[in-house]
Amino acid sequence: MVLAADAPSAPAPRRGRALQHAGLIWTLVRTDFKTRYHGTLGGFVWALLKPMSMFIVLMGVFSFLFASDPTYKLNLIVGLFLWDFFAEGTKSGLTSLQAKGYLLTKARVPPWILVVTSIANALITLVVFALVIGIFLVATGHAPTVAGVVAFGAYCLALVAIVVGFALGSSVLFLRYRDLNQFWEVALQAGFFIAPIVYPLGILPERFHFYLYIWPPTPVIEFSRAALVAGVLPTLRGDAYLLLDSLCCLIAGAVIFSRLSPRAAEYL
Amino acid sequence: MAFIEVDAVSKGFWIPTLRRETVREHLLGLLERRQFQRLQVLDAISFEVRRGEALGIMGRNGCGKSTLLKILCGVYLPDQGRVSARAAMTPVLDLGVGWNPELDAVDNVMLIGSVMGLTLDEIRRGLDEILAFAELERFANMKLKHYSSGMSQRLGYAVAFKAVREVLVLDEIFAVGDAGFRARCEQRFRELRASGHTAIIVSHDPRVIAAFCDRALLLDGGRVALEGTAGTIADRYVATLTQPVRDAPEAPRPS
Repeated sequence: MVLAADAPSAPAPRRGRALQHAGLIWTLVRTDFKTRYHGTLGGFVWALLKPMSMFIVLMGVFSFLFASDPTYKLNLIVGLFLWDFFAEGTKSGLTSLQAKGYLLTKARVPPWILVVTSIANALITLVVFALVIGIFLVATGHAPTVAGVVAFGAYCLALVAIVVGFALGSSVLFLRYRDLNQFWEVALQAGFFIAPIVYPLGILPERFHFYLYIWPPTPVIEFSRAALVAGVLPTLRGDAYLLLDSLCCLIAGAVIFSRLSPRAAEYL
Repeated sequence: MAFIEVDAVSKGFWIPTLRRETVREHLLGLLERRQFQRLQVLDAISFEVRRGEALGIMGRNGCGKSTLLKILCGVYLPDQGRVSARAAMTPVLDLGVGWNPELDAVDNVMLIGSVMGLTLDEIRRGLDEILAFAELERFANMKLKHYSSGMSQRLGYAVAFKAVREVLVLDEIFAVGDAGFRARCEQRFRELRASGHTAIIVSHDPRVIAAFCDRALLLDGGRVALEGTAGTIADRYVATLTQPVRDAPEAPRPS
């Protein structure tokens, strides 16, 4: 069997390049999904058991402490699933260039594609969890308003921007400092308690709230809870803060990435 | 007009006496002075490749061949100089790069085909052809972890040869497979050349350079030591294996 001897094709025009990139993104996401979940729906459901079991354990322990709060369980599930996306997305984004380094040193692949696609699995999980949250809210008689759902979607987008920004910046720094993932693991453990996931923010004195809001997941979790569970939309000032926060993370990550990624292959 | 123009390209690396790759090592080593040694891999290399031409690059280990190919393909940035390419390049720097052993041949062809710049539609249309060329139709749904190294390499060749755009950049890959498969790969290469493709081939094998290239460069110490017809360079390379290449006459500049 002989392969067809095609004539040389012209340099790919902009549309052709976009198609190539779209195909590469789709294939990387698809193969990553298949590898991680053994290509079955059962494998995917199995992977969801970890955050679900975490939710059940935390609910079992902390719902006694906060028994006076009737919406505690709902707030916990919203906070926990958003946190799960943040933690998983940043962890896989941080190591993405190193994990797929063989593609950078042997082929011509835009490095940003490797970083962005590494977050895809965490994003798929977030979408599934968003549906779980919706079902949970409806089942407990707290069906969210349309405005609340739209606002929640916008907050999820802000969180995605934060995670992408972190992943872009940290992925190139990780090639130079190979223990950054260990520091980040510790930061995530501390960050889990800095963000008001298992406790209501209200139990802390108000003067500390400002500091807790500096940690990017905090405003996303708090605003999502307000929109979905309490049915109250945050103030315009609050939304502006979150928009600025997410844009700062995204731009900072993109700037670090654009400076360091052209020589990324030399550190692999 | 030159199809690919390499103008005074230099590339070097700073090699530290003590490598520090972690934050911990950097912090603990704050008071410890490190010395760096400059390794100049490429030193003001210039040459041209014309449309439809096959250029061979030879040289001993460490002379800068692979670094030069990586700069040509855009994997590395040059420290100085410039590479102007008026064509899309298909780098084949390693066969089967990025194979995922947990996926079957079809998924791996989709993955590597995408990495090599094919659109999903092009891959789907060429899938049967790729599997047939690699003689792996019967094993299309078998995971690659169950493949022998020869089967993986055959699949690597098949995808690489299907993904060729205008310029094929090959790094020492004619040396695998059995005689029959090698003959088919060489045949495929000749077809690509006949249909107008340009090629840049790095090899230690004088037979490959003499048989498949029109012109060749002999690199030594990061410089073009000699440039000439493929046969001349292949002979000269064999001679340098027993004597220093620096005795060779100054390389003529490309016209």
